Amino acid sequence: MLILDQVSKRYPNGHEALSNVSLQIDTGELVFLTGPSGAGKSTLLKLINGIERSSRGQVIVAGQNITQLAARRLPQLRQNIGVVFQNHQLLFDRTVGDNVALPLRIAGMPPSDIARRVRAALAKVDLEGRELDWPEMLSGGEQQRVGIARAVVHRPPFLLADEPTGNLDPALSKEIMGLFAQFSQLGVTVLIATHDLDLVKVMSARQVKLEAGRVLSFDQ
Amino acid sequence: MTSNPRAGGAEARVILRSERIRAWGRHHRQLFVQTFAALMSAPGSLITTWLVIGIALSLPLLLGLGLREAAVADAKASIEPSVSVYLSVPSDSAEAQELLNTLRGSSQIQSVTLVTERQALNAFAAQSGFGDILRAFSENPLPAMLDVKPLVGGGAEAKLLVNWMDELPGVDEVVFDAAWLARLQALMRILNRLVIAMGLLFSLGVILIIGNTLRLTIESQRSEIEISKLFGASDRFVQRPFIYRGFWLGLGGACFAWLIVQLSLGFLAAPVEQMAQAYRSSFALGVLSVDESLWLLLVGAGLGISASWLSVWRHLKQIQPK
Repeated sequence: MLILDQVSKRYPNGHEALSNVSLQIDTGELVFLTGPSGAGKSTLLKLINGIERSSRGQVIVAGQNITQLAARRLPQLRQNIGVVFQNHQLLFDRTVGDNVALPLRIAGMPPSDIARRVRAALAKVDLEGRELDWPEMLSGGEQQRVGIARAVVHRPPFLLADEPTGNLDPALSKEIMGLFAQFSQLGVTVLIATHDLDLVKVMSARQVKLEAGRVLSFDQ
Repeated sequence: MTSNPRAGGAEARVILRSERIRAWGRHHRQLFVQTFAALMSAPGSLITTWLVIGIALSLPLLLGLGLREAAVADAKASIEPSVSVYLSVPSDSAEAQELLNTLRGSSQIQSVTLVTERQALNAFAAQSGFGDILRAFSENPLPAMLDVKPLVGGGAEAKLLVNWMDELPGVDEVVFDAAWLARLQALMRILNRLVIAMGLLFSLGVILIIGNTLRLTIESQRSEIEISKLFGASDRFVQRPFIYRGFWLGLGGACFAWLIVQLSLGFLAAPVEQMAQAYRSSFALGVLSVDESLWLLLVGAGLGISASWLSVWRHLKQIQPK
């Protein structure tokens, strides 16, 4: 479960990115975070994986109040969160397999298990057998799917995605969203920040609308 | 690794301590090989860095070795202050015997040895190589001499002793040159300090070279470090490859230093020995022993690891996911 209780975030320059945001996301739920640019979507995701600290309120991830979490405990928290970026942020000097294996290496998994898990994760995003390819050999959609495989390969209980379909065409975007829906059905709590409302409409998931750092509405 | 069961919903993963330790050991083993392989993938820049470190380590080492051998030669020569008292009377005369007894009775003198005219001639012939020329003289031109080992080392007391001996009957001349010995010993002390200072400075240089090399590597891997941290890599996890890189750079540099020192010693050995023989000294340049070689490698590796700790840690902590 993921809980935000009266969370505000004010940056040192005085800009208040989030104001009294309260939100509860159940285990295995898929939630869309929508709103225009500057609404506070990315800030909210950053608060959940500890990149930013809230100025007020509590952020509780898997029962842990991360607003009070020591910096040295953050890595352990982040090992439980998969992250997908708009520009996928792959390492272009590493093979697809090495990119996907990164969270497993960080978790200290034996090489034989890593190879098995990487194959399975790539199979899940329809990139079976592409471990030895280089990212630049892949299309934009395939690169995004590698990014998703990397985000879920270590089976995190939470998955955060920041505009994951921002650079993709509608058909590919729908395909990617389908993958997220599958993960949520497997018990992963998925929170996706997007401004693509057309895409959100076709998905049966809760939508949290943000504007100027405030929650406007919760739509089913 | 213990994962949560999917069916029961997602919860934070719990990792056992024993699993953590195994993973830690595995990571070290992997990095030991991987970092070396990564460095070897750019052999040109690697050898240049090793060479620079090697030169920096070998310079104080060479000077230190030279001083060590000089100290050994110095000890072998057992140099201690001595006074040469040249006699104006024959060595077998009663005055000479009386002078010998007077000096032996002095509380400021440790020992007195009489060197007769014949002994002086033989010694001079042997040391100078002018034996044939000396035989051309109809009579021995060299005077008898008393070799006096004083208890006083130098300074005013020595001067008083010399003046006293100079006034004694039967004495022609007293020669006491302790100043050169004091100068030599002072020079050795300065050179020793110089070696220590050079050693420290060049070690600092090695740390800066390795630290700078590692910082450049970190910058080239910044995005990888950011992403790794985003997926839960700790600062220590991220730092570990750089510790091993520092280790390999230091160790490789020490190997190059060893090679430079051994080649330099081999190159200098013959002319140094010839020069030492010309001065009738036993001074000779040795090579690094097994113990010294191992120490050198240990110091090199240690400097590499220290460089990584000192220069990389803070830099890595500043790199955070955005």
